[in-house]
Amino acid sequence: MSEFRDPSGGGATPIARLVDAFHRLPGIGPKSAQRLAYHVLRAPEEEARDLAEALMEVKRSVVLCARCQNVTTENPCRICSDTGRERVIICVVEEPLDVVAIERTGGFHGLYHVLHGVISPADGVGPEDLKIAELLTRIRDTDRDITEVIVATNPNLEGEATSMYLGRLLRPLGIRVTRLARGLPAGADLEYADDVTLGRALEFRQEV
Amino acid sequence: MPGRAPRVTKTEAIVIRQRRLGEADRIVSLLTPLRGKVDVVAKGVLRSKSRMAGHLEALTHVEVVLAHGRSMDVVTQAQAVESFTALRGDLDRLSAALYLAELADRFTVEHADATGLFTLLHSALVRLDRGDGQQVVTRTYELALLEATGFRPEWTRCLGCDLDVPAEGARWSAVEGGVIGAECAAKYPAAVPIDATALRVLRAYQSQPYEEAGRIRLTDDLAARLEQIMHSLMRAVAERELKSAAFVSAARHARVAEEAAEATGDEDDEAEALED
Repeated sequence: MSEFRDPSGGGATPIARLVDAFHRLPGIGPKSAQRLAYHVLRAPEEEARDLAEALMEVKRSVVLCARCQNVTTENPCRICSDTGRERVIICVVEEPLDVVAIERTGGFHGLYHVLHGVISPADGVGPEDLKIAELLTRIRDTDRDITEVIVATNPNLEGEATSMYLGRLLRPLGIRVTRLARGLPAGADLEYADDVTLGRALEFRQEV
Repeated sequence: MPGRAPRVTKTEAIVIRQRRLGEADRIVSLLTPLRGKVDVVAKGVLRSKSRMAGHLEALTHVEVVLAHGRSMDVVTQAQAVESFTALRGDLDRLSAALYLAELADRFTVEHADATGLFTLLHSALVRLDRGDGQQVVTRTYELALLEATGFRPEWTRCLGCDLDVPAEGARWSAVEGGVIGAECAAKYPAAVPIDATALRVLRAYQSQPYEEAGRIRLTDDLAARLEQIMHSLMRAVAERELKSAAFVSAARHARVAEEAAEATGDEDDEAEALED
């Protein structure tokens, strides 16, 4: 952001620093970064302080749950310490937001495990970069009653690779490994469905 | 009228990789026969109701219509021709296919004829999908890819003196791309010994038709040695680490561990049955 450089040569001005900081956020281009920075500049001091404090607090107080690796302010997290949940089944998801999505359905009452990514060989993300070792340790040591692991990774190539890899690691431990069903989304159009999706939808058809 | 570039192009392609772009879009890398590697934008494919998402998954043979954009073309229609479903359901074959796609990505230039490389990748995916041996498909693909791009390795004649090198006692250099005989060893200090059986197999893979090469029986140990030699050669030619190569090995290790656990389980069952 050269236009915000200090003309006296003293490095980046405070505005340039703020624009740069916003620009580093995902989905924020240079123009949006400038707009956000000027919004903060014009906003009352209290609003700016609230934003700064919220940013600092999230870094200070949010940690990963030692059991499920989800983001939390309490350790273990609320789900892991809830005695009312089924403690024999774990749903493995890619990201913390997937936990929110599954919880919203109200249809799952077991525990979770967040991998923080998915195996993506093309991007250089291998099993060792995910929370897979933590899942194995957890099943061997702390959550020994687990009988089933539902792999709820996304139904794309990376998600499938991750689920098959987890299957290979977990089956020898005597765990039943299942995968979320795959088929047509609500409101879909058969004509446009791809062969893999339509094939699975036929394979896992249900009686009406 | 002087030739104005058409606003849309229809082409067949193989999806070699995808990466996220913004909220719901993806950048899809396509290997096309006539335009080589092309990065295109697929809009809205991360939404669950996207009509194109399933057709643009990596490792799909697809027919696409591309509209010319200012910086990148945009996919307006996509129809899968072959989805290679069987390959997707087996971790070993899937990891091998991802490795082949990464090689295609590394060895193809953008916007240049790549008919040969397209055919190579397509046949390799067809062979993996129908259940051919993962080793023979991968190794013959690597060798054919090197040959097509001008990096054919020399497995028979010495790089130093051009004389035939006996398989026993041969050395080889990944960086130099070939074998070195005993007489010339001093001139290539970086060369290392190469396993004689592995070298014979590589010579056969390079010189024989695919069907013949497929008849060669490989033990797990020999397959691992071939893989190690070829991975180091491909790394040296590509001049960078091949990210998916590590996952091919990780998937195999996990399979071996699972099979070992199953074997132990079976032995325990037998022992229990005998006790009963």
